[in-house]
Amino acid sequence: MFETARYEARRRVQGAAVLSAAIGLYSGFIIWYFTVLEGVAIEDVFEELPPALLDAFGVQDLATIEGFLGAQIYNFVWLLGLGLYFAYVAGGTIASDIESERMDLLLSFPISRARLIAEKCLALFVPLLVVNAAGGAAIYTLALLIGEPIDATHLLLVHLLSIPYLMVCIGIGLVCSVVADRAAIAERVAVGFVFVLFLVESVVGGAEEYDWIQYLSPTHYYDPTPILLDGTYELIDSAILLVAFVGLLLLSQILFQRRDV
Amino acid sequence: MDPIEVTGLTKEYGDVRANDDVSFSVERGEVFGFLGPNGAGKSTTIRLLLGLIAPTAGTARVLGADVHDEAALIEAKGRIGYLPAELGFPPNVTGESVLEYHASIKGDDRLDELLEIFTPPIERPIREYSTGNKRMLGLIQAFMHDPELVIMDEPTAGLDPLKQEGFNGFVRDERDRGMTIFLSSHVLSEVRRVCDRVGIIRAGQLVELEEIETLLDQGGKRIRVTTTEEATKALSALDGVVDIQPFPDGIQFIYTGGYNALLRELARHDIQEIEIGEPPLEDIFIHYYGRREPSSETGGDPDV
Repeated sequence: MFETARYEARRRVQGAAVLSAAIGLYSGFIIWYFTVLEGVAIEDVFEELPPALLDAFGVQDLATIEGFLGAQIYNFVWLLGLGLYFAYVAGGTIASDIESERMDLLLSFPISRARLIAEKCLALFVPLLVVNAAGGAAIYTLALLIGEPIDATHLLLVHLLSIPYLMVCIGIGLVCSVVADRAAIAERVAVGFVFVLFLVESVVGGAEEYDWIQYLSPTHYYDPTPILLDGTYELIDSAILLVAFVGLLLLSQILFQRRDV
Repeated sequence: MDPIEVTGLTKEYGDVRANDDVSFSVERGEVFGFLGPNGAGKSTTIRLLLGLIAPTAGTARVLGADVHDEAALIEAKGRIGYLPAELGFPPNVTGESVLEYHASIKGDDRLDELLEIFTPPIERPIREYSTGNKRMLGLIQAFMHDPELVIMDEPTAGLDPLKQEGFNGFVRDERDRGMTIFLSSHVLSEVRRVCDRVGIIRAGQLVELEEIETLLDQGGKRIRVTTTEEATKALSALDGVVDIQPFPDGIQFIYTGGYNALLRELARHDIQEIEIGEPPLEDIFIHYYGRREPSSETGGDPDV
C-alpha cells in the first residue's frame, strides 16, 4: 500500500525544504520590517486604498503584529502565494507524466487509475505539511525574538485551517491535470483559475446583488487575519472546503478513468 | 485460453483508424513478433492491450482479463511485464531508485540476475543515461517480477549489437522456460532471430499472420550462381525467378518455383559456384507491402 505515495513524497521533500526556507526568509524580512515601522502611523498609509483592496489583502489592525502578519504574510503568502503554488504543482502531476510518457509505465502497474491519482495527491501533503510546520515555527520564534509574541493557539489555528483551503487548490490543480494533455497548460489553467477565484471574491464582496459569486471562491472560506487577531473562525467553512476537495478529487478520478492516455 | 486474444480491435482517432478490426491470438510460450513500419498502428494495439486507451470497437483479453474490465486487468497486470517504446523515467532520480519503486509494487524476484545481463549504471541519475542504458533499465523493470507475459514495444531500439545479441538469447531462454513474449518491431532481422510467429500490420490492418518458417518459405530462396553468360540468360528465363540482380561473373535472384526444375536447368550449364540461402526478411516484407518502406530500417521514431 502507498508505494506510489511514498516514492512521490520522497521526490517532494527537496522542493518542500526550499519552499519553507524561502517563506522563512520572507517572514524574517516582514517581521524585521514591523520593528522598523513601529511608531509610524501605518494605518494612515492604507486609509486611501479602496475597501476592496483592503479586503483582498486582509488589511485590519495593521499596528498589531497579528494584523500586520495577517496582511503581509498570511493573506499574501498563504492565501495567494501558496494557493497558486499548490494549484500549479497539482496541475503538473498527471499531465506531466502523460506528456513525458511516464504514465505508460505507471499504468502498467497493477494499481487502478483512481488509486494512482489519490496517492500522487497524498504525496503533495508533504510540502503542504512541511511548509505549514516550518513556516509556523519560524514565524512564532521570530515574533518572540522581537518581543511581540503571538498567541500560539491562534497561530496553530491559522495554519491548521489553511490546510483545507490549500487542499481545494490542489483539487483544482488535479482536475486541470487530468483534462489537459500538456503539463504547461494544466499548470497555467490551474494557477489562472485560483487567481481569478481570489480576485472574484475580493471584487464582488462589496457588490450586494452579486455577492453570491464570492461563495464560489475557496478564499471566502479561509480568512487568516481574524483568526490571528482573536481566534475567530467558522468550522462550517473548513467543512465546506473539505467537501469541495473530496468532490474535486473524485471528479479528477472519474475524468482520469475515462480518458485515453 | 491464450495469453493474448484480440478480436475485431478497432481504435479511431477522428477519421484515422489507427487499428482497424485487428484479430489475432498469441499462444502460451511463444515469441510473437508484431511487425510493421512506423505509424502502422503497432503501439496503438499495445496500448489497447494494456488499457491505456479504450477501443472504439472490438475487444481483447490479456491473461484472461477483458481490457474493458479495469479490475480484472489490474489483477492481470501483476503478471505482465511491459516495456514501452518511449521510456519517460524521471530524469532526476537514479536507476536504483526507479527499480526500488517498481520492486515495491511488482516484486523483484529476478532483479539480481537481470542486472548481470543488462548493465545500466543504476547508481547514476537517469538524466545521464544514454538511450541504450534507458532501454536496459526498461528491460530490467519489464522482467524483474518474473511475469507470465511480457509485452515490448520496439525492445531493442538503441541497444548496441552486442546487447542486442544478449537480448535475443535472453528472450529465447525465457520462451523455453514457458514465458509468453509479444514484441513489436520495424526491424525485420530482429524478429527473424527471436520470433516463432509474426503478425504484419499495415495502416492499422493486420495483413498477415504466419509462422516465421512459412513466411521464409513463401518468400522463396535466394540463389547466387557464378556461371557463364549463356547460363545466366537461361536461368533468368526460368519460371519463378524474380528480383534478378546480375553481377560480373553470374547472377543472383529469388526463386519461388520447385527445386527440380531449377536443378535440371543448372545441370545443363557450367556452374562454378552456387549458394542457396534464405532471402533477407526485408525482401519478404516487400512482398506484403509491395514496395520498400524507406523508414522500415532506419526510422527511430515511435509510431502512434
